Amino acid sequence: MDRKVIFPHQVLPYWLLLPQVVITLVFFIWPAGQAAWMSVLQQDMFGSSVDFVGLANFRELFEDPDYIAAMGRTAWFSVAVTCLAMAPALLLAVMADRVVRGGSFYKTALVIPYAIAPAVAGVLWLFMFNPAVGVLAWVLKQWGIDWNPSLHGNQAMTLVIVAAAWKQIAYNFLFFLAGLQSIPKSLLEAAAIDGASASRRFRTIVLPLLSPTTFFLLVVNMVYAFFDTFAVVHAITGGGPAKATEILVYKVYHDGVVALNLGSSSAQSVVLMLIVIALTFLQFRFVQKKVHY
Amino acid sequence: MKRSNWLLSMTAAAVLATPGMTAYAQQRTEIQMWMGLTGQGGELLTKYASDFNASQNEFRVVMSFKGQYPEQRAAAVAAYRAGNPPHIMQMFDAGSGDMMAAKQAIVPVSEVFKRANLPFDPADFIAPARGYYSLPNGDMLSMPFNVSTAVMFYNKDAFRRAGLDAEKPPATWPDVIKAAKTIREKNAAACGFTTTWLAWIMLEQHGARHNLPLSDKDNGKAGGGATLNLNTPANQRMVKTLVDMQKDKSFDYGGRNNDAAAKFISGECAMLLQSSGGLGAIARDAKFQFGVGQLPFWPDLTQNGKPFASTIGGASLWVFNAPNRTAVEYRGVALFLNHLRSTPLMKDWAKQTGFLPATNVAFKSMQDEGFFTQNPGRDVPIAQLIQGVQGAHTGGYRYGRWVEIRDVYHEEVEKALQGRQSAADALHNTQRRGTALLRAFDAQSRN
Repeated sequence: MDRKVIFPHQVLPYWLLLPQVVITLVFFIWPAGQAAWMSVLQQDMFGSSVDFVGLANFRELFEDPDYIAAMGRTAWFSVAVTCLAMAPALLLAVMADRVVRGGSFYKTALVIPYAIAPAVAGVLWLFMFNPAVGVLAWVLKQWGIDWNPSLHGNQAMTLVIVAAAWKQIAYNFLFFLAGLQSIPKSLLEAAAIDGASASRRFRTIVLPLLSPTTFFLLVVNMVYAFFDTFAVVHAITGGGPAKATEILVYKVYHDGVVALNLGSSSAQSVVLMLIVIALTFLQFRFVQKKVHY
Repeated sequence: MKRSNWLLSMTAAAVLATPGMTAYAQQRTEIQMWMGLTGQGGELLTKYASDFNASQNEFRVVMSFKGQYPEQRAAAVAAYRAGNPPHIMQMFDAGSGDMMAAKQAIVPVSEVFKRANLPFDPADFIAPARGYYSLPNGDMLSMPFNVSTAVMFYNKDAFRRAGLDAEKPPATWPDVIKAAKTIREKNAAACGFTTTWLAWIMLEQHGARHNLPLSDKDNGKAGGGATLNLNTPANQRMVKTLVDMQKDKSFDYGGRNNDAAAKFISGECAMLLQSSGGLGAIARDAKFQFGVGQLPFWPDLTQNGKPFASTIGGASLWVFNAPNRTAVEYRGVALFLNHLRSTPLMKDWAKQTGFLPATNVAFKSMQDEGFFTQNPGRDVPIAQLIQGVQGAHTGGYRYGRWVEIRDVYHEEVEKALQGRQSAADALHNTQRRGTALLRAFDAQSRN
């Protein structure tokens, strides 16, 4: 009874939770439910004829060689983006951590790209590498490279991967830097006194102690590569040439928004959702065992 | 109890906060129009809307840009399904088939004018546009607004450097190939020619220019069930020409949609196949002398060496149907459409943008003013479209899911240009995948 006098607002915690719950329901659960429901329907774009078709949309997807190819492409794309976003970030973080003078300047400069919207980042890279007007495209042409990403698929893919990874480097850098700064200096000093070289100290002390950060970033970057790279692809290549950069999330957009094939597009988003859930689950289940907290 | 009181008072406050808006809406009926144009075109449309608003006090037209045509279409479809579509939507040519099939979702413009007791004769519009957007019984479904066709722009400076006649653009494909090879040999430009809107120009316009059908069933105009007929020797030769020329850069692929225009404007490519509506950007940005020529043709596919008319592109204005629309709103829509098709406005639009005047009166008036003779190059699309020979297959097509089928063609031809399949395979695959999409469309739109 006393407690009730001290905390009369039994409902207050729920009220405080409410905004987050409402946001989750309205912007995540409800659309996801809609997608799941629409994935078992087939309908014309104006919704005048709607048929329940069970799993036909899914069957069609997995019988479509283009969809299977897009899955393989996405796997390769996300691994490449994740590696390319994490490795340079770690290197930069290690370097920035060692800078004594003007450290905050370097750190700020390295974090700025994160403030750039993915679509803007895409356009930025598009202009630099535009075969007609791009500065870097001109340089490549001077080197005798036949640079035309609207024709050559691997060039387009490289461009999209680099642009997508570049944007994420700043984010990873920030986390790696924070991780590095939380490593006790005494450990490193002790190892140095014991005669461990810099590379050995990095391998046996820094890397293991960074592993929670690395693991977290691995999950975040994979999810980023699967879902958030849409704007980059949309701005740079539009999925072309000849599907060379059509990753799963872009295909969802193209089939849903451009082609207005809502059944197939919804089925694809359900598949994408399942893939990311499975991936995250696997990562927590298996990779986490190797992580030292 | 307490909580519901609180909610109630919040709602009351929200309602009380908007009396000004309610009063305003009672004064003027709002007409929503979604446009798919940015830049100069978008600015002009916005200006036309505010002119209309200033000219009367019964209606207020709100012009909005919701994204490029595909995004805008998706947004409008979502709005329609939620019961509140825009009154008027500007929709590009390739999306017309889908709109025509959605009988319950649209009100034909003929009908809109009839309800408002305003005179409307489809024959007022230039013939190619009328044919494209009308039913066989003559009823016009959407109102043509920005009408264009494909022409060739060429860089006169590059032509001179290559020792070619800068006043005489190559008229036929063999001439274009020869000129492009010469340009490469003399290194007058890094690439001979390029094209925008690949499917529209190399498939649809190429078909019209030689009176070749894209499918049976009168290019889909005779109803559903059409089977595409794309893997023909004529289409194979066209694609193979591009593939062969890509190897020595006498042709260089510049991407889908409008992307390749930059290759011409920057001087990289000496010739460009492009919508006549692209003139404005070229005139503004190109730092060289350029000329306009007709869309090239293959002499062996013509009758007596005279090519057929090309077909139109661009966009038209569709009126949405919705259960809660009032007669007053439709009257506002009719009045605004009437404003848009008025002769001074059509002339202003055509002169400023490079699109064609969509009505016969506006065209005649511009002709009488001597606009086409005073502005060299501006007569080219007209000559090609109106004075070209009309054939059974020059008047456009009507297919559902054509937006998607265009992308199928893009993909397959890109694959051929990359050397991963032959021109015949590219067309065979487009035909197979495209026909499958048509069948899926028929199955979904049977009601």
